[in-house]
Amino acid sequence: MPMKLLKTNMDKEQTIERVLHAKRYALTLDKELCTGCGICEEICPREAIEIKKFPKVEGERVEPPTINIDEQKCHYCGICDPICPFGAIEVKVDGEHLISVLESESFPQFIREIDVDMTRCNLDCVECEEACPLALIKVRVESPDGKEVRDFKSWPDKENLKVVVDVHKDLCPCCRLCELKCPDDAIRVRKMIQGFIKINPERCPEGCQDCLDVCPITGALYHSEDEKVHVNELYCVYCGACKTVCPEEDALELQRTSIRHTPIHSGAWNKALEKLTSTKEMTKELQAKSVKKVKETVEKRLAWRS
Amino acid sequence: MSEEPRIGVFVCHCGLNIAGVIDVEELTEYARTLPNVVFAKRNRYTCADPGQDEIRKAIKEHNLNRVVVAACSPRMHEPTFRRCVAEAGLNPYLFEMANIREFSSWCHPNTPKEATEKAKEIVKMAVAKARLLRGLKTMEVPVTNRALIVGGGIAGISAALDLADMGFKVFLLERGESIGGHMAQLDKTFPTLDCSICIEGPKMVDVSRHPNIEILSYADLLSVEGFVGNFKVRIRKNPRYIIADDCTGCGECRDVCPIEIPNEWDMNMGVRKAISVPFDQAVPLVYTILKDYCIECYKCVDACGARQAINFEQETEEIELEVGAIIVSTGYSIYEPYDDSLYGYGKYDNVITALELERLILAAGPTGGKVVRASDGKKPHRVAIIQCVGSRDVNKYEYCSGFCCMYSVKHAVQLKEKYGDDVEIYILYMDMRTNFKGYEEFYQRARKVGVTFIRGRVSKIIEDPETKNLIIRAEDMTLGEPIELEADLVVLSTASIPNKGTDEMSRILNITRGADGFFMESHPKLKPIDTPTDGIFIAGACQGLKDIPYSVSQGSGAASRAATILSKKTWEIEPIIAVVNPDTCRNTRVKCGICTTKCPYGAIKAPEGEPAVVTAAMCHGCGTCVAECPADAITQMHFTDAQIMAQIQAALAENPNGKILAFLCNWCSYAGADLAGTSRFEYPPTIRAIRVMCSGRVDRDFVMEAFRLGAGMVLVGACHLPFDCHYISGNEKMKVRMETLTKIFEKLGLSPERFRVEYISAAEGVKFAEVINEMTEQMETLGEKKIQAENEKLRPTLERMLSRKKK
Repeated sequence: MPMKLLKTNMDKEQTIERVLHAKRYALTLDKELCTGCGICEEICPREAIEIKKFPKVEGERVEPPTINIDEQKCHYCGICDPICPFGAIEVKVDGEHLISVLESESFPQFIREIDVDMTRCNLDCVECEEACPLALIKVRVESPDGKEVRDFKSWPDKENLKVVVDVHKDLCPCCRLCELKCPDDAIRVRKMIQGFIKINPERCPEGCQDCLDVCPITGALYHSEDEKVHVNELYCVYCGACKTVCPEEDALELQRTSIRHTPIHSGAWNKALEKLTSTKEMTKELQAKSVKKVKETVEKRLAWRS
Repeated sequence: MSEEPRIGVFVCHCGLNIAGVIDVEELTEYARTLPNVVFAKRNRYTCADPGQDEIRKAIKEHNLNRVVVAACSPRMHEPTFRRCVAEAGLNPYLFEMANIREFSSWCHPNTPKEATEKAKEIVKMAVAKARLLRGLKTMEVPVTNRALIVGGGIAGISAALDLADMGFKVFLLERGESIGGHMAQLDKTFPTLDCSICIEGPKMVDVSRHPNIEILSYADLLSVEGFVGNFKVRIRKNPRYIIADDCTGCGECRDVCPIEIPNEWDMNMGVRKAISVPFDQAVPLVYTILKDYCIECYKCVDACGARQAINFEQETEEIELEVGAIIVSTGYSIYEPYDDSLYGYGKYDNVITALELERLILAAGPTGGKVVRASDGKKPHRVAIIQCVGSRDVNKYEYCSGFCCMYSVKHAVQLKEKYGDDVEIYILYMDMRTNFKGYEEFYQRARKVGVTFIRGRVSKIIEDPETKNLIIRAEDMTLGEPIELEADLVVLSTASIPNKGTDEMSRILNITRGADGFFMESHPKLKPIDTPTDGIFIAGACQGLKDIPYSVSQGSGAASRAATILSKKTWEIEPIIAVVNPDTCRNTRVKCGICTTKCPYGAIKAPEGEPAVVTAAMCHGCGTCVAECPADAITQMHFTDAQIMAQIQAALAENPNGKILAFLCNWCSYAGADLAGTSRFEYPPTIRAIRVMCSGRVDRDFVMEAFRLGAGMVLVGACHLPFDCHYISGNEKMKVRMETLTKIFEKLGLSPERFRVEYISAAEGVKFAEVINEMTEQMETLGEKKIQAENEKLRPTLERMLSRKKK
């Protein structure tokens, strides 16, 4: 059978496929998870991803943009899959979730550090679940034999019950909202993308709050009394969704400075890193790596001393 | 030339080919009456030894200093007779040919009287030119004894090995990453079922090890300049991003590369890595990074390690080679019938082409030798093979692709051998063509193992949406009724077509293609390997589809043809070149240099204030500059203005109003006219043709002179625009020139149909006959009176314009 390049576009999903006689590749975009941040577009080596903005309707909230993947251009390298902070893209080969760039260590994965000390949790607390803007946290109470207990108030010995906090880590952009909302100091989150964001309110068009409309993290941007949008950097995940919709050139400044990822030695990552942060930050990482390497070599050489 | 011409005319019977139509006796008598003809004789076969003897004898006995042979086309036997007169001590350029076979007896078989009259005038024109012929000295040019072979398939490989074994240095140019061509893609070969790569592989390795052969793979031909024995070739070596000398072919880089891309070598059914070789036996065994797909993770660089064979900075490199001969063996491609909805190719999962099946059966193929369906990965139990998909189809490719019958029989036998009674095979065919050594026996073998042959065409294929099986509706011609057949897998034996880039190749090399798109040989019978351009030969499927043994033979044949040039120290070049008369060249007085801009080869230099000079070895003798020169200061040897004017005057001496005077270029339109004769297409005997090397030679003065003398119609025949011209762009120059002339005629009141420029290829005999039919009809519709009246009106202006010629 000759090669087929297919595309199906549905309400909640976009799937492109490359069907060969002996192998089948598929890439699925979950439109509900996608925030239109454009990180994938920036790093796609084939320029196969394009941001699609929706026309703004006067007086209504602006719709978050979505992406369109060109089935003719994509060659299923799969780097968009691990780089999506919201886990909206999935690449499958012959039906299996298999990312060859991860297997070959040509591309890193995010380090999502979300630690929950469940011993600190109160039985009746669901603050984190409620706080998560992406509904990735599920809190439940379990009996000693691992069964969920719904009516824990009438449970005889409450000391034996424990709270289980399930976090769907793969889809978590690490905004820290849960951490900051937790009354018992039970959650520790480290941001996986660092950076800075700044809004210059004087540059903002009158009454515009497009950035706020599309921001996936509740509270990262907020409307203040001066009718302008402001930033709370505490929560920002630096995804850049706001930047893609901002109508003014320099009303919104966003700069990523570092990305926490699994250790990697790959030109493809260096290039991606440069695009996502800056040349300076990329060089910094490379220097850190080489310093580490030198350190390791020296330590190895001096090992006889110890 | 003070010597009085003494012309001998030899009229050939050509058996009954000429004598069967034309009254040769009368023609010979007529020849005797022509001025300066001192001897005329007829022979049964002038080209045979006795005929040639008579010419030689007559030259001696009658002291002839010009010879005219009235026989076949000069494209056929001019070289024969030139040699003949030379043997008798006459300068070969004192010979002229009158084409009374292709141009008269063969195309007017039912009007012998008119054919004879036409033949007389053809002889008269030849004699008129012969009187003005001058002896010319053949030039010699040095020969570079190296060869370039374009295309590294089995034909090119055979040619390369043969030439290299003869001791010549050979450059084998291949566009792809590896040599081997289509043969390296095949599993087994018919009718012996040898493993294809097992027999070709060693040859490929021989090529790579041969001290006389240099493989230039992953490289493109950019341009070819020069001429026989002295070609200058520019080649672009595309970057592999691998240092060929340092690559050991170990494949460690491939193992770590994360990027998989469809492998074209596997007909995109399987995958290869972004750093890889298309197949394991590739020669040269050098990996290539396909930059379009590479994400530059540099894992390959780590894997390559100390060998350091990877260089991402590599750039395209252009090299220039000097070679004496070129062999073109660029092969073919496969028609993919996406555009024919009948077969559902590209739509139904289980419809594949024969080459795809070939890759599936192959153990090293994408499925490891398992023939499986794309829809469910299961083995098919009923396979239908459909012949002539695209081939022998007037709406698609009219020709027979030649080898499909045999490979389909081979596939059937292979599947039967592999799966036995577990698989049923049906071959739906129009005719089974098994016409070479061992082929019919192989076909019988297929019948014995139980392959079902159904004679009939397919009318529709429908897919069962559930099972993805295919329902074939066809006609069984033996039963004479429609049949329906359910198959798990349908294999299409699709047409093979000229390779991608054949048109560009023909442009670069200045060689023509036939109506089917394949390269044209110089003569279909006697020069099947030569091209019209001296020193360039063709071998293998690029000339027309052929199987492996035939391609190998042609490769060897081309090698031996090339060796006839390469083995010489010098090569003789026809002295039909342009010469500038420094006394009349305007460039000494005014800034002219028109000739330098018109020469397609850049062979003319005109330094300011000095007369223009033609570089003889670069001049190809098209005559374009001659026609363009405003001062008539350039002469084309053997096609001088005086000679052509004499031909025009001879042709139009009698009844000019009822004649079409044609100027035909040697390579296309004259050959097309020859083909009309060879094909016995009949057309009215109204045309009188003058052969020029290139339509670029046709001076405006010639056309004006023809009308001044009262010609009914004038035709200029040229090669097709834009690329068919054998002199690169002579036809374009002619076009521009004639367009302005048309405007002048328009103003002077000439009926537009009376002057026509037509583009007729060597393959368009039909078109030539049609054009003459049409023009004759138009001429009759206009009527003699109107033509005469127009000519009368035209004459004073034309005479004024031509007056400078008289001086």
